[in-house]
Amino acid sequence: MPTAELTPPEAARWAARAGLVLPAERHAAVAAVANHIHSVVAVLRELDFADVPPAAAYRAGQEEHHAAA
Amino acid sequence: MRPHELSLAAAADAIRARRLSPVELVDSVLDRLDRVEPHLGAYVTVTAQQARRAAREAEHEAAHGRYRGPLHGIPMALKDLIDVSGMATTASSRVRAGHRATADSTVATRLNAAGAILLGKTHTHEFAFGLTTPQTRNAWARDRVAGGSSGGSAVAVASGTATFALGTDTGGSIRVPAALNGVVGLKPTYGLVPRHGVTSLSWSLDHVGPITRTVEDAALVLTALAGHDPRDPASLPQPATHYRPGTGTDLTGLRIGLPRSYYFDHVHPQVEAAVRHAIGQLEALGARLVDVDIPMTRYIQATQWGLMVPEAGAYHEGSLRTVPELYRDDVRVLLEAGELMTAGDYLRAQRSRTLMRAQWARMLEEVDVIAAPSVPTTAVGAGEETLTWPDGTVESVSDAYVRLCAPANITGVPALTVPVGHDPAGLPIGMQLLGRPLGEPVLLRVGHAYEQTQPARALARAA
Repeated sequence: MPTAELTPPEAARWAARAGLVLPAERHAAVAAVANHIHSVVAVLRELDFADVPPAAAYRAGQEEHHAAA
Repeated sequence: MRPHELSLAAAADAIRARRLSPVELVDSVLDRLDRVEPHLGAYVTVTAQQARRAAREAEHEAAHGRYRGPLHGIPMALKDLIDVSGMATTASSRVRAGHRATADSTVATRLNAAGAILLGKTHTHEFAFGLTTPQTRNAWARDRVAGGSSGGSAVAVASGTATFALGTDTGGSIRVPAALNGVVGLKPTYGLVPRHGVTSLSWSLDHVGPITRTVEDAALVLTALAGHDPRDPASLPQPATHYRPGTGTDLTGLRIGLPRSYYFDHVHPQVEAAVRHAIGQLEALGARLVDVDIPMTRYIQATQWGLMVPEAGAYHEGSLRTVPELYRDDVRVLLEAGELMTAGDYLRAQRSRTLMRAQWARMLEEVDVIAAPSVPTTAVGAGEETLTWPDGTVESVSDAYVRLCAPANITGVPALTVPVGHDPAGLPIGMQLLGRPLGEPVLLRVGHAYEQTQPARALARAA
């Protein structure tokens, strides 16, 4: 699957957008780890989720557990 | 047998029968701790004076007919992510310098009420975000990793410096160090043991559970820990349950799932042989083996990371901006890089978990328990970062240790690791038993039955 790798300056810019200012000497290491994490989680894009909700869907009121399912 | 060598159940029987006093037991464990702890580094803090005082109180109660149950007077350790009022919860991190918990965690309260005696707080990989616990050495070979993140707890139990301990498990952090140190570790069903007052790594994956010398001991501790607490939003409204397994070893009629895929891939041959031999023992006790196919294996690591990395990043958002230099390098860079993940990544992982839970539930309709290795290899050398498998695949040590544990964190099913032998170097091997949600009684029954077919295990000898 083609994915766009983040360069160190791009990683720094993305981090800054998230409110995290990275010292220059950390840009390369953070970009490398971010690209690795991305390569791991990107595989989830293969799944056809259709109408499947996220597991963390909110339940108001009395909790019912479905552990016996 | 000296008191520090006793299992929890054996010590409890002796205390109840007044053959052993809590003072003798605590003194024995603290003496052992004085001798071996300098070599192992399992503890962040030891509270010897308070422990001796609590032991005298427990002895006084026992002498006056007030017996609180099987944890009465039993010395134990808590992973240093678990709050105890008035003590620091260091998370083995400089970030927590000066910390002081203002209240007990739910599990500390429950253990205290059950009569257990706190010996101290044990090391974790910093904030539980790692699989080795570098401050601590393996209880069987000092040049090997303790495993993590509950490395201190597992080493303390294995070496006789705590009769039991608590750990936390987000991607294997109870089961990995328990397996690598030859002790029992139970990751309960998600929500069975309340996490209120326990530092989080990843809210939707975190569990608290016991590390013990026997399966029966794990059942006794679980009995004290389990039960609803509305302060943990994941807490299940379960009634109080006694988990102590019966003495029978007959497993006739029990269906044990033997994975055809995933759990025996990229597993060291000695680990595989020991686990398959143990599964053969279960079959000899009457269990029927049923082949199972583990669903969605291609997506396990992606789902685990997609949940854990952003949740950990959210927990640490503030301190990563104010005191980033206080984190160790390995944890800091993961937290920083995690900030670059998108909401889409996280939601895909949560939706994948919905699918995975449903498919695991279907698989667990066909069998009662799944038996598999806990970790694919025994404890690696301290400082080793990768493993190379015979087909040339290179895997990081942390990925390898998480690999077989993560499915139970993603799906919330209970998972128990039981020692099933040693490799030729003398390093312990663990078998993992996985069950249906709230299927702890079945796991404990199977694990206890297996242990009864085996000779009693001795303490680790590296110390």
